[in-house]
Amino acid sequence: MNDPMLEQLVAGFVDESQEIRDRVVHQVLALEKADKVDGQSFEELARGLHTLKGSAATLGLSELADLAHRMEEVVLPLSGATGPLPARVADGVLRVLDVWMARLRAVAAKSEELPDLADSIALLQELDQPAAKSRPASEAPGKEPARKARSTKTEPAREAPALETDGPAAGDEATWRVGTRRVLALMREVERLRELRLRLEERRREMERALAQLSRLGILTETAEARALLMGVSRAVGADGEEASDIIASMEEGLKAISTLPVRTVLEPLRRSLRDLCKRSGKEAQLSVSGAELSLDRRVLEALQGALAHLLRNAIDHGIETPEERAARGKQREGALSVRVEQQGNTIFLEMSDDGRGLDAEQIREVALRKAIAPAEELSAMGTGQLHQLIFRPGFTTRDEVSEISGRGVGLDAVRNQVQALQGNVEVQSEPGRGARFILTMPAEMGSSPVVVVRCGEHRLGVPMVAVESSRMARAKDLQVGRTRVQLLHRDELVPVRDLGALLGFRQPEAPAEGQPLLVLKWQDRKLALGVDEVEGDRELVIRPMPVELRHLPAYQGAATLARGELVPIVRPDWLVNLERRGDAVLGSTRRALVVDDSLTARALHRTALESGGYLVHTASDARQALEQLRHSAYDVMVCDIGMPEMDGFQLTSAVRARPDLDAMPIILVSARESPAEGQRGAAVGADGFLSKRDCVSGRLVSEVAGAIARRKARV
Amino acid sequence: MKLVVRGPEPVAAEVKALLDRRAERARARPRLEEETVLWMAEFPVGEEQYAIPLETLRAAVPLKMVTPVPLSPPHVIGILRFQGQIISALSLASLLGGRGWREDPAVLLVVDPGVGRLVALDCEQIPKPVGIPAGLVEEARGRSKGAVSEIVLPGLRQLNLLDLRKLMDRRAATGRP
Repeated sequence: MNDPMLEQLVAGFVDESQEIRDRVVHQVLALEKADKVDGQSFEELARGLHTLKGSAATLGLSELADLAHRMEEVVLPLSGATGPLPARVADGVLRVLDVWMARLRAVAAKSEELPDLADSIALLQELDQPAAKSRPASEAPGKEPARKARSTKTEPAREAPALETDGPAAGDEATWRVGTRRVLALMREVERLRELRLRLEERRREMERALAQLSRLGILTETAEARALLMGVSRAVGADGEEASDIIASMEEGLKAISTLPVRTVLEPLRRSLRDLCKRSGKEAQLSVSGAELSLDRRVLEALQGALAHLLRNAIDHGIETPEERAARGKQREGALSVRVEQQGNTIFLEMSDDGRGLDAEQIREVALRKAIAPAEELSAMGTGQLHQLIFRPGFTTRDEVSEISGRGVGLDAVRNQVQALQGNVEVQSEPGRGARFILTMPAEMGSSPVVVVRCGEHRLGVPMVAVESSRMARAKDLQVGRTRVQLLHRDELVPVRDLGALLGFRQPEAPAEGQPLLVLKWQDRKLALGVDEVEGDRELVIRPMPVELRHLPAYQGAATLARGELVPIVRPDWLVNLERRGDAVLGSTRRALVVDDSLTARALHRTALESGGYLVHTASDARQALEQLRHSAYDVMVCDIGMPEMDGFQLTSAVRARPDLDAMPIILVSARESPAEGQRGAAVGADGFLSKRDCVSGRLVSEVAGAIARRKARV
Repeated sequence: MKLVVRGPEPVAAEVKALLDRRAERARARPRLEEETVLWMAEFPVGEEQYAIPLETLRAAVPLKMVTPVPLSPPHVIGILRFQGQIISALSLASLLGGRGWREDPAVLLVVDPGVGRLVALDCEQIPKPVGIPAGLVEEARGRSKGAVSEIVLPGLRQLNLLDLRKLMDRRAATGRP
């Protein structure tokens, strides 16, 4: 293979073949386990092998095309069958597929030592005998297997048809090697572009404001030309901004494809390994996977493959008992293995657990002493947790004999080394007789997670999709509203209901209104129906850690950026569902204040002052929002800015005073101007006090508020 | 008409002592042209003028690009993106212990306090650069153990020099400014 073009095509074909091979392995495993299969499943399996054959033939890799053809010949006669794939056929296809991939890689690497195909061909010939396949029962009677129609004669592989249109086109794109730094630099540039997009949107808003001001001046005729021009530019800037958003989204998608991998690409091969390990050890186990939908840093995932394989081998060899032993202990004959992957901020958590015999701390102590892994006095002082950590020491094994699977004492220290090489950490937790759990924690610069974006009050927040079981509307007939709690009847189960805004402390808790969106969350066997104002939809987002100043907040996993550039805090599912661990933000405080100000800073300053005075503070950024909050919640005082857009502080005060239920609530107006006239106007509309923002030094605001409350009480 | 000779109005002893100290510092001030000048960014917080070393200032951005975060401490206005990082926007008046203000801040100063991360501080006006003799700065810093050092400039103009690192460290250590 000296043709550079052909070399590139073969290199590309390796990647494609790996994907097809993974798919075929997945199908084989599923068909072997299934009790009843779809009649077309075997044909789909054969189609994957057929694509491998066609692509290999196109590239002149005749021996690989021939081998794929033989695999196809073994599988095709099973078309239409509804029983499981015979174990011998599954074994044979999986083994030959491995050899096939190894040979292709060797060809691509121009290796002089190509894996021999003779054994594989012999194995397939043996399987091609009718008896060997022991055709699955329940084959559709009278149905002619598809093979008969397609290939009753031995179709020479070299004459394989050209690529099928639905299959991957061999070598239609060459691969490039790109340095990580260059990709990271590109990501930073995309970030800058996103900031530029935000600024563009701000410019458009400024133009809209200028237009509104011109219109207010009343000189419409004189400014008609200028307004038309400004309107056109504003529209064009808006359209440019939308296009920039699309470009940013597309660039991000491309960069993600380069730098991340779906977690399933490393977890799916574990199913195959588990099957082989069970066959060899005579054990039975089922693997469940959670978090396979995440996309994580490609470098981390690739580096973790070996560690995962070690942990799996370890679980089967040391953890999971034989079916007989499990039955004697009252466990299911089939062991349960689970892998959970989660990304929180820029940390990846990978957990592999089994329900096997667990770690025996005393046995670990004895082995450690015998193998001189630690001094006797040190060992005797160790607690169970410390003893468990000894299994990661080099040379540690509780096995006296080396088995085919493990026992060489090179497994778990290799896992630790691999994780540490990624600046990560590994720990183990175990209960004797109940299993073991290995938790790997690693930093990750990249990766994305599906997130449901919701709106609650003025806030946009994200909830990790992995915790969202479903979303639905609140219906009165499904709600059980008690004095202290609200529950939702959801799929024959009572689920506690909480309002996201109340949990996050910015509004009072109340039962969901009719038709209000609810997210039903399920996390670590706990459920919660979360009331929100709007579900905006799901997005694939890169979650970054919160800045240091906010990292102590247990409510958040991190923050993510939407395509338009807005930041969205991402709420931690475990914080949401663990209701009893968290004090309600509303309880424990007797005095409540509502601060209404369009300035973020002013709200922060009023909050600082009032919270230091012992008030629980809720905030609103405009009069409309304040009225909405006053409709649902009772406050002891309202501190309100005068200069707000749309409805100013005087108008809000008048609106509040017009409501009899709010007539007694003290209102303090605050203004940027020190104008006695404003104070008088405030008093006229029903305000209890007036302060300039300059006067709002710590203590002054609190004393003014306390004075207003006392005066109101004295009047009653 | 009877002329009444007016002397200094009576002031409290502690105020007099403060004024005397300021006058003494002003008299002792070396000549500007002979000294190294340190460049500071000067801005108002309410009725007072504050300054930070110009080299700590990275950018001034509109305050509108901030996302509020529920449950955050009162001095945290929210979060914003700056050059690919997510940073905190903090209320300087709140960090300084609750000061009044003259106009609602519209600008955020992105600063490097020297603690390994950037933060943004709100500001009523875009800062202006001001040259201050290095000796005055050193002397003020030597006198103060806190995050704010008082400098008296010619014309008895008072400027509060902020030590951002101390401001951040103290907030982190005690939760109070």
